[in-house]
Amino acid sequence: MLRYLFFRRTEWTVFVATALVCLSLMLLERRAQERVVWFLQHTVLAPAEAVAGWTERGVGVYWENEKLRQRTASLQMEVDAMRAERGENARLRHLLGLEQRHPYVLLAADVAGRSLDRLGGSLTLNKGVSDGVLENRAILTPEGLVGRVERVTAHESRVLTLLHRECAVAARVARTRVEGVLRWDFGDQPTLHLLYVSSQEDVKPGDLVVTSGLGGIFPEGVRVGTIDRVGLEPNGLMKEIVVKPAVDFRSVEQVLVYTPSGSGAVAPSDLLDDVRPAEPQPGGTPAATDSSAAPAGAPAVSSGAVAP
Amino acid sequence: MKGVRDIFALIVVLALQATVLYRFEIAGIRPDLLVAYVIYFGWMRGPIPGTLGGFGIGLLQDLDASGPLGLNALAKAVIGFLVAKAGFRVHRSNVGVRFAFFFAAMLVHDLIYYGVVTGGDGGEFVKQFFVKAVPTAAYTTVFTILLLGIAERITHVRLLADET
Repeated sequence: MLRYLFFRRTEWTVFVATALVCLSLMLLERRAQERVVWFLQHTVLAPAEAVAGWTERGVGVYWENEKLRQRTASLQMEVDAMRAERGENARLRHLLGLEQRHPYVLLAADVAGRSLDRLGGSLTLNKGVSDGVLENRAILTPEGLVGRVERVTAHESRVLTLLHRECAVAARVARTRVEGVLRWDFGDQPTLHLLYVSSQEDVKPGDLVVTSGLGGIFPEGVRVGTIDRVGLEPNGLMKEIVVKPAVDFRSVEQVLVYTPSGSGAVAPSDLLDDVRPAEPQPGGTPAATDSSAAPAGAPAVSSGAVAP
Repeated sequence: MKGVRDIFALIVVLALQATVLYRFEIAGIRPDLLVAYVIYFGWMRGPIPGTLGGFGIGLLQDLDASGPLGLNALAKAVIGFLVAKAGFRVHRSNVGVRFAFFFAAMLVHDLIYYGVVTGGDGGEFVKQFFVKAVPTAAYTTVFTILLLGIAERITHVRLLADET
């Protein structure tokens, strides 16, 4: 029988065996899948990612140069205007007796590679330990939160986006300050879910979701996305909340690496100001959930790549 | 020689997919060259290399994907095998045949992929299939045939040669 399978029906035997291996992998529990992924990533994927990073630097250098020249010119103008404003700001602060704020550093980095899947579960950045990037640093864009640094080498770092199964974020609804944990869920519908929110809480579609700062990795008040759908979990105790991310992970090209400048110095007030819950507007969407409101990263971008 | 060429082509495809291909995105649709490579590989090399190649490439994708481990591996192993079985003695050098073959194989791949991803939700499956899978398959097919044509012109090698 075995002889027949291996020598007469080799093609079908290989095909069926391969399909069975795939199905077995799919049926493994999440934890077991993560162990298999971890093992294979450290043996198979690391060289492939390195090749992808080198190629991006080689192939993309011309396009990047063109774009960077244009950006440099426009940024120079912005910097000049900001210098004048900063001087004015310092004088006014001095007059008001306010302390200096901004206890964080933002480092700009380019996306050198992206995950091979269609969703955008991870990114490779062109900055590493030598540039000051460390593990578990939050990654932002002007649109909002991208994810966190998973691992770093000397000149590169790998970022898990919110669409990765290993990236969970402590978050809250800006309007009502209801807290939960934001996590990618590959259930019936592969979407971002805000978990552990009681069925009694006030949460509506269109509400803005921001980071809560719990856990210490992500700064407080950074825009994460908006609530897309609200339902009830089958047990009736918790809400089932689907969140639409603020960032398009598939097309992000430049990001900012957030680094608290002091030990435990989190919660930059500037990031929080833009998404602080607004007074409920009768019969309308609260101002804080307006998509035209300044995004979390806006002041962060203007604050540049160095600590003030 | 064939092996070296295949590995070189795979490295190029992986690098393109991971880095510059998002620049060719139109209305949220971008070419999926990894599926195209599996089809090419299975078509040219036969059922066993097609199955194992599809499995390997799919697993590589799964390691970095958000979906269940093994889904891409399964979808690609299946099309690697089916393409090799169905593509035997087909006129590979004919552009029309190439188009039809690549397009149909990609749709089969996406049938499996979205069938699992949507978890049996018929409405969602139909939506994903017509909004994502069909345009992606069409765009990838056109993109791949153009790439193959350019590569064949530059190298003067029939990359998709007929059976001799």
